[in-house]
Amino acid sequence: MTEEISSKLLHDLRSKCSSLKSAAELYKDCSPAEKKEMLALMKQAAAGIAAALEKLESGA
Amino acid sequence: MEKLNILVLEDDKLAQKIMAAQLTGHKLDMAGDLKSALGYLGRDKYDIGFFDLMLGPDDDYSGLKAIKAAAEKGVYAVVVSSSDSEDIIDKAYELGARDFYAKGNEESNIADIIRKFVQNRKLDAGTDVFESAFVTEDPELRAAVTEALHYAPTDLPVMILGPSGTGKTSLARIIHDRSGRPGAFVAINCSAYTEDLLEAELFGYKKGAFTGAGEARRGRLLEAHKGTLFLDEIGTMSPNMQMKLLKAIEEKTFHPLGSERPETSDFRVISATLEDPKDLVARGRMRFDLFQRVQGYTLKLKPLGERPGDLFPLIRHFTRGGRRLSFTAEARAMLEEYKWPGNAREVKKFVDLVCCGPEGRIDGVIAGRHLKPRGFSAAAAATRPAGGESDELYALALKDGLQAALDKVAEEIVLRNLAENGGKRTRTMADLQISTRLLYSVLKKNDDGGDDD
Repeated sequence: MTEEISSKLLHDLRSKCSSLKSAAELYKDCSPAEKKEMLALMKQAAAGIAAALEKLESGA
Repeated sequence: MEKLNILVLEDDKLAQKIMAAQLTGHKLDMAGDLKSALGYLGRDKYDIGFFDLMLGPDDDYSGLKAIKAAAEKGVYAVVVSSSDSEDIIDKAYELGARDFYAKGNEESNIADIIRKFVQNRKLDAGTDVFESAFVTEDPELRAAVTEALHYAPTDLPVMILGPSGTGKTSLARIIHDRSGRPGAFVAINCSAYTEDLLEAELFGYKKGAFTGAGEARRGRLLEAHKGTLFLDEIGTMSPNMQMKLLKAIEEKTFHPLGSERPETSDFRVISATLEDPKDLVARGRMRFDLFQRVQGYTLKLKPLGERPGDLFPLIRHFTRGGRRLSFTAEARAMLEEYKWPGNAREVKKFVDLVCCGPEGRIDGVIAGRHLKPRGFSAAAAATRPAGGESDELYALALKDGLQAALDKVAEEIVLRNLAENGGKRTRTMADLQISTRLLYSVLKKNDDGGDDD
């Protein structure tokens, strides 16, 4: 894995982690419908983090 | 709240949701990729643009292209990104970004950016501060004040240095007015109080906290909640008070006198001093940790003597809406030659005196009369060769002793300052840092009651 690719993966990871943190802070003030949507997006972000970590581990 | 037109470029759906929540109340367009962002920029006019840089895991920082396009259209471009490489930060600023924030603290960062943007826009578009609120035509002073005002919508402490009468309090109020802070501007002159009284004034007290505390009273710190606390003459505080104040500034909590229940206040500190604060620290009169805490952005106001071009604009300002004055060439020359040691405050006093007089046309005699407050020849003092006065004092010292000469000097300074302050005793005590006892002994000798203030 080149330095450029790992740097981009790290950027993506940081970005998703930051979004999850902000989303967790916002969550309590959301309406039930927004909470549902927010949870789905949070799950997507978590799946994205897992995928990025896998890529990093495999060095692909 | 002012409604702004805002564009967000963000590819991540969750981040889009977060940005949208933080920007509720504004007109918002959300672009998920570069193409649509460029499209929005081509079609509409935006106040602020928030730009992510990497649009997708394999993207090559294409958000930078949107920054360039936004900056060219005069949009206030802000980067909100997880990228923290210095190359990328430099590149974003080179292309026209005005701010760069790391993702993750949107709640405070976005609110902070909007507040700063709105206040700075008011500053740029509003009435010229130098024509009304803070009159000066001096380019150096204008530049310094303009720079200071750009820090107004932040929480950064500000320290204003300068001699008495140069407008420190006015400037502190202007900074507060442009801060966007919803609370009050609360000013206190620290030198006008004894240590105990200052503590009671600042922190407040509970009923019965001390003899005379018949009712509970809120302190200035609490009055300044969500506003600005202006501490004039901060260097005159006792070391003990400085320590208590430092603790309150750092922790934003304090105990009113006699109370066991802590109070909380979110205040911004603006401080002022006549003296060089570094010198105060070196002489042990100001705690280094307090100095570090309150210095923030520091600016120095020049005395009027160093900006003579401001004299007549100030006179015009003080007569605005009232009696218009005209000055003979002789009067003009006298006013220009005079050093105005009391600065703008002394000019105001002079204007008040001549405006109340019978003549609207001011000649040398009238000007000279009002530049000689209460028997002390201020005009002469400003222009007289030093030898004349010192010869008189020397003769007095030889005749009645050195102390008599020193007393005379002190008396003249006190009377002059009192006259320049319109008889306000507390202001004179603060300006000259003198005791009540010295002030009253001078007043008694001259049979002058001054004003109660």
